[in-house]
Parts: sequence; C-alpha cells; structure tokens
Amino acid sequence: MSNEHGHHAKHLPADLSAPASVARWRNRALLVALVFALLAAADFYLHPSDLSLDYVLRGWLMGLIVCFSFAVGGMALLMVQHVSGGKWGLLIRRPLEAMSRTLPLVFLMFLPVAICVKRLYLWARISNPEEALHAGIINAIQAHAIAYKRPFLNIEGFWIRGIAYFAIWGTFIFILNRWSRQRDTDTQHGNWYWQKRFENLSGAGLLIYSITLTGASIDWVMSLDPTWYSSVYGLLFLVAQGYAALAMVILITLALSQDEPLKSIFRTTEQHDLGKLCFAFVMLNIYIAFSQYLIIWSGNLPEEIRWYMDRITGGWGYVIGLDFAFHWLLPFTLLLSRDIKRNKRRLAAVCCIMLFARFLDTFWLIAPNFADIHHNFHFSAELLQYIFVPAAMTGLWVAYMTHQLRQRPVVAINDPHLSEILEPEHAHA
Amino acid sequence: MATNDVSPQDPVTNPGKNWMIDPKTGELRVLAPGQTFRSVTEKIARIVLTSQTPLGWLFGFVMAGGLIAMLLTAVAWLFLKGTGIWAITMPVAWGFAIVNFVWWIGIGHAGTLISAILLLFKQGWRNSINRFAEAMTLFAVVCAGMFPIIHTGRPWLAIYWLFPYPNTMNVWPQFRSPLMWDVFAVSTYATISVVFWYIGLIPDLGTMRDQAKSKFAKYIYGQMSLGWRGSARHWMRYESASLLLAGLATPLVLSVHTVISFDFAVAVLPGWHTTIFPPYFVAGAIYSGFAMVLTLAIPIRKFYGLEDIITMRHLDNMAKVMLATGSIVAYGYGMEVVMAWYSASRWEYFMFWNRMFGPMGWAYWVLIACNIVTPLTTLWSRKLRQNIAYLFAISLIVNTGMWFERFVIVVTSLYRDFLPSSWGTYRATRWDYMTYVGTLGLFTFLFFLFIRLLPMIPMSEIRMMLPQAKVKHEAELQTEAGD
Repeated sequence: MSNEHGHHAKHLPADLSAPASVARWRNRALLVALVFALLAAADFYLHPSDLSLDYVLRGWLMGLIVCFSFAVGGMALLMVQHVSGGKWGLLIRRPLEAMSRTLPLVFLMFLPVAICVKRLYLWARISNPEEALHAGIINAIQAHAIAYKRPFLNIEGFWIRGIAYFAIWGTFIFILNRWSRQRDTDTQHGNWYWQKRFENLSGAGLLIYSITLTGASIDWVMSLDPTWYSSVYGLLFLVAQGYAALAMVILITLALSQDEPLKSIFRTTEQHDLGKLCFAFVMLNIYIAFSQYLIIWSGNLPEEIRWYMDRITGGWGYVIGLDFAFHWLLPFTLLLSRDIKRNKRRLAAVCCIMLFARFLDTFWLIAPNFADIHHNFHFSAELLQYIFVPAAMTGLWVAYMTHQLRQRPVVAINDPHLSEILEPEHAHA
Repeated sequence: MATNDVSPQDPVTNPGKNWMIDPKTGELRVLAPGQTFRSVTEKIARIVLTSQTPLGWLFGFVMAGGLIAMLLTAVAWLFLKGTGIWAITMPVAWGFAIVNFVWWIGIGHAGTLISAILLLFKQGWRNSINRFAEAMTLFAVVCAGMFPIIHTGRPWLAIYWLFPYPNTMNVWPQFRSPLMWDVFAVSTYATISVVFWYIGLIPDLGTMRDQAKSKFAKYIYGQMSLGWRGSARHWMRYESASLLLAGLATPLVLSVHTVISFDFAVAVLPGWHTTIFPPYFVAGAIYSGFAMVLTLAIPIRKFYGLEDIITMRHLDNMAKVMLATGSIVAYGYGMEVVMAWYSASRWEYFMFWNRMFGPMGWAYWVLIACNIVTPLTTLWSRKLRQNIAYLFAISLIVNTGMWFERFVIVVTSLYRDFLPSSWGTYRATRWDYMTYVGTLGLFTFLFFLFIRLLPMIPMSEIRMMLPQAKVKHEAELQTEAGD
C-alpha cells in the first residue's frame, strides 16, 4: 500500500500480532491482583468488625466503577474515533477494542454489587421509610426521598436496568469488534465502505451510550446518597470516564510502541495529538466539576450543599485537595508543555497521574456517602480496603485486557489512514 | 448572479451530476475541482471591487436601514419614558432584554468555534466560511451588547452601574454576581474576536490593495493592510499570531456562555438553579450559531455564485455539527425533566409541570418542536442534510427554537413563583418587539456592509487549500483539496 508513494514511507511488518512482551504484562498484572487480594483477605480476617464486609463491598464498588470506566469508556472512545476519523484513532483502535472486550469481566464484577445491594445502598436497606424515621435510623429528608423515589430506586429496577445497560453496551461492543475483524480480511469492499458503516453505528451508539451511562451513574453512584441530585452528574461521569479510558489507552499504546508491529506506525505527531486530547479532557473535567461546585455553593440550598459538606469538611479537605492537584493542577501544568506531550516516558507519567486521580476521585465520590465516615475522615484498618480491593480488581482487569489484546493483530488494516500514518513525519509537525 | 463568472482555466472534464464527489474516497469535495489561484482571487475580490452594486444588495441594505430606524425610535422612546414601556414587571422582571442578549451572544459562538477551535483541530474545510462566520460573531456581539446597556434605561449611567471604577462614593458593583462577570466576559470576547478577525484579514487586505483599480480603494485597503507584502517573514508571523489568537479564543467559546448560564444558575429559583446549565448553554449557543451561519451562507452562495467555494461539504458538515450540539441540548432538556422529578422537591416538580402545561406551556412545546423534534429526527439523513432548501428551513426553525428556549427559561421560571398571590403573566409590548426586530435589522445592515466592503471569504486560505499550493510529493497524495 505504501509502495506507490515511494519516498521514505515505512512498511508494515508481516506479523501484526501482539508482541511477546504482552504475555509478561499479563503475568505481572496477575501477580499484582493476587498480592492485593491476599492483603484484602488478611485485612478482612485480621481486623474483624461489624463493618468489615461493608468496607470490602465499598472497595469493590470503587473497583467496579474504575474497571467499568476502562471497558465502557474504551467503547465510547472507540466510537468517537470512528465518528471523528483521524490517524490517532487508527493508532489506538485495537487497544480500545481490547479494552471494550473486557465487558464480560466487568459484568461479573457487577454481580456482587447487585446481590449485596442492600448492604451498599440506603434506599435498598430501608423497606419502610416511615418506620425507619420513627426508629431514628434515617432523618426526615431521607425518609421523604426514599419514599418518593421508590418507583425508580427499588431493587428489581436496579437489577433490570443494570442488566439492560450491560446488554446494550455488550451488543455495541460485539458488533464493533466483529466488524473490525471482518474489515481486516475484506477485499471485496473499499475501505470507505467500512468507514461509513462504522460511522453510522457509532453515531447512534454514542447517543445511546450517553443516555445509558447517565442512568448507570445515577443508579450505581449518585443514589448512594438518595437525597442528593445534580443534573450535570451524568455528563460529569461521562467526561471522567473518557478521562480514565484515554489515559489507560495511551499507556497501553505507548507500551506497545516499544516493539513491532506498532513501532512502525507509531509517530510522535499522533502521540502529540493524543496528548492534546488528554489536555482537552483535563480541561473539560475541571470545567464541569467546578461549574457544578460553583452553582451549588452560591445557591447554598440545604438539600444540595450537604453533599459537598460531607466531602470537604472533617478531614475530607485533604482528599479533595489532592484530587484537585492530581485531577487538574498537575496534568494541566504538565500537558501545557509540548516537549512533555511528545516524549514517551513523560507522557506515560502524566497518564499515570491521571489514572491515580481517577482512583482518588472515585474514592471521594463513594466513601463519604456512608454515615460512619462522612464529615469525619479518619484512618482505620478497614479503610485500606479502598486500596486493596480496587487494586486487586484492576490487576485482574489488566490481565484480562492483555489476554484480549493478544487475540488480534494490534494494527487494524484496510483503513484509509493506514498509508498516511506510514508516511515519514514532517519536521514542523 | 451578482458578479460575472470567472471560468476556471482547467475545465472540468466531467461536469455530470457527481462531479463534486471525489471518486477515490466517495466523499464530497471541500472545493470544486479546477480552481486556480487566479480564479479564486478574482471571484472573491470582484464581489467587493466591482463598481456595480447589485440591486438585490441595495434592496436588502435599505430594508435593513429601515429596521434600524425602527430600533432608534424604540430606543429613543425607552430613554425618554424608561423601562416601563417594556412588558417587564413583577414577578417577570427579566424579559426580552435578557432573552435577546443571550440569543445574540449564543449566535456569535459559532463564529469563534469555526475560526479558533476548528483551526486548532486542523479542519481545513473551515477556511471557506470562517471569515463571514467571524463577522457574524462581531455583529451578533454588537446586537447583544446593546441590551445590557439599554436595559438600564439610563445608559449614560450604565458605566457606573456595570463597570467597576474608583469613585468618590466608594460604591462598587457586586463582584460575586455573574452579571458583573458578564461585563468582563463579553468585553474580552468582543476584543479577542475583533483582533482575531482583523489579523486574519491582513493578507487579503493586501490582495485587495493590489487588485483595486480606484485610487481611493487602493489607499484605504493599503492603510488597512498595515504594509503587508507577503514576505516569508510576514507569513511566519501571521501564522503564529493566528495560532496564538486561536488558543486565546478557544476558552472564550466555553467561558462566555458559561458565565451567561451562571446569570441564571447561581440563583435559587427552580428552573434556573440547575447544574447542567453551563455545558447545555454552550452547546445551545453553538447550535444556534451554526443555524445562523447556514441562514447566511445559503442565500449568499447562491446570490454571489460561490457554490464552488462554499460547497455541499460545508453545508453537510455544518448540519452534522448541529446534529451533535442539538443532541447535547436535547440531553440537557431531558436531564432537566428527569431531575425535576428525581429531586423529590415539590418546587422543582411544580415549576416543570407549569412550564409544560401551565398557561404559557405553548412556548415550551414550540421550543421542543423547533429544537428537538424537527431537526434531530431529520438531520440524521444524508439526503436531507444535502437538500439545500431543507437545510435553510431547518436553520430558521432552529433559530426560532433557540430564541424560545431562552424565553422559556426566563419567563416560565418567573411568572409563577413561590407565592401564588403574586403570580402573573408576561405579554411583550410593541416596544419589546420593535427593539428585537430592530436588532435583526442592525445585524443585517452591518452584514451587508461587510460583504460589500471586505472579502467575505479568506482568499489567502482558499488558495492554500488548492492542490497547486502543496509541495510536489504532497500534491500527489492530495486527492482532495484542503484535506
């Protein structure tokens, strides 16, 4: 394909399958998962208390949300690059597809949350709000909210919606991955035929994704506090998911680019573009997060501000301070630099900061919903489960993702951008 | 046809029905094939430099001037009598002035998006439309900026009320109020937009100076082109200035309408106080702005015979942007309804019920029909996106819908407040309508002047998109100009 243009264009190697190093990553990830699972078990058995199991579940929910961001966020970015086109999209396409194919694992991770819904969610635990109010378990605002929202926040609804979300995402992931494999071997249709096909599916897919994701974010995280609401929550969650998935896919791509076959299509130009995209997500995230805060702060309505008070007072200020630094201040400052965006090691470091920020932020969203710790951030042995359990789950996720990565060639062919990406870079780019 | 045709030197061999489709990619071309540097320059420069002003132009110009006379009458009466001549009263103390202000500012956003963000995104197709979209921004900001000043009723005092300056009474505006931030947001926006637009004009002003026949025009364009000679150093500085200004203008696309959404959202009123407002206002602004670009581009390309430069590809892409931003707006409307119920607050719930089914509920359904139902169900179709008459109709419908959106937000949140005994209604007076329609005239007037006096399409940027402008081996790869 590149021959016709002559000039120093690179050639694709004959073997496009994932390099051998991917198997090593899998083993390391499994080791990490094992170590943290053992730590979590040790923590559980060595410090037994009434809340031991609760903390394991809360950590599990955090791990679920993070892995879910990688899998379904990966699917969303996959659709975005199909709709927008561009050479950067071709570069990260196969890693994104591998991330999206981890959805079955994420579904398995969802099951414990669905089964233990009563332990995690106040609205599920309280079957009779009136009685609970009289017994002093909940306050009047909570009783009203739980009773009022019952048509939506009920256990059956939670299960049915959860399964429906997974079915919808699963369908899109299945079709996108299947077509991608067919496209590789297809000689009959031109590559523009496939481009249009993917475009049409992804356009509708993004629309459905934003609606289902909003539903999932309300069900799984926002409803932990049944009284609180914010109309931008779903959008903020969506941007945060893109933020996490983008940082993850850049890390995978940078690692893959050390060896063939990705080495031959990897150019600093596209790396620079991906760095700029990170910058855009960093800005978009702080924009929505800060707007939400400013609006609620200036309104200062008792039904809204309490959610923030739970999360910024009583020691939580340190957590949100760190969250702000890692989510915005550091990546923003670093990504302003052109050199950092164009240097593999440095961009990888920024992506690690971004991933850490997502863990911290998920913790900050989930943990203060529970009465034993809101307003009062303190260390306890159980609190470590927020590190052990998500780390073990993420290790497992990475191992499964690398397994998926090895299933297919890591470069998608039959794409109109392939010959362009094999061209030498422009010095001024 | 308002100008004589400049026939391309390289005639198209197959002027059949699909000649605008690139055979290799199956995509629409950005520019019609067969253009040369000369044909582009002459085609665009001639619109301005011709001594024969088209009759159609004169007619429109005079009509717009008539509307300005109406605007002046309405504003003069306002200054004599005060804001009592408008329909505003309690509980609806904000009426047409803020609705029009937000509507106009929103329209401006598409110009900045096209000139700044699409430049950073390396979207070559923007070149054909960026100059007049940016002019649209400037004139929309002029119309918008009028309202905060005239709504004070005594504009000679507005500087003291709006702008913080040290005064002997030691009285300052409220710095925590987003209305105060608006003053800075909008004035920054206007400044950057003017500078960006003017810098972009400089190479073309040089061309105009060289092309002009009359001494006067030569002198004026020569002065305005700031000594542009087109040397490599000039181009280098021009390119870096453009990129820097694009970088500065990009956050403004988001920030200006965000601050405007804060005007409402920081209040505690149901219908205004909602966290989705910032992104949803920004998306709505871009939505309405692209609708306005289409409203302007479709007649202009027809009238001046510019179909080779503002092509189907542009119209199709703009329709796609409208589909995307319109979907975000629809998401915003949806979340407002969902949260009105989910909030478990009777005030939120009542406000929304009243907005939909109260005495002014019709306005809400007009907005849904214009902004959501009509465009978002049909713009998915490639066929309809490439139907010019349909696009023109849709652009007018969306502009109407976006005006109603602001009307609904302002009025239906206010007219039935917490205390039923103070409930009222809102009926705009003739002065309200005259002022609003008058600004439409002002906008059209300025736009007509612009297309007669300045090149409305950046000639230099179009020339750069032609295959001839590429280095040889690049030109070989280039199948489609501008991609």
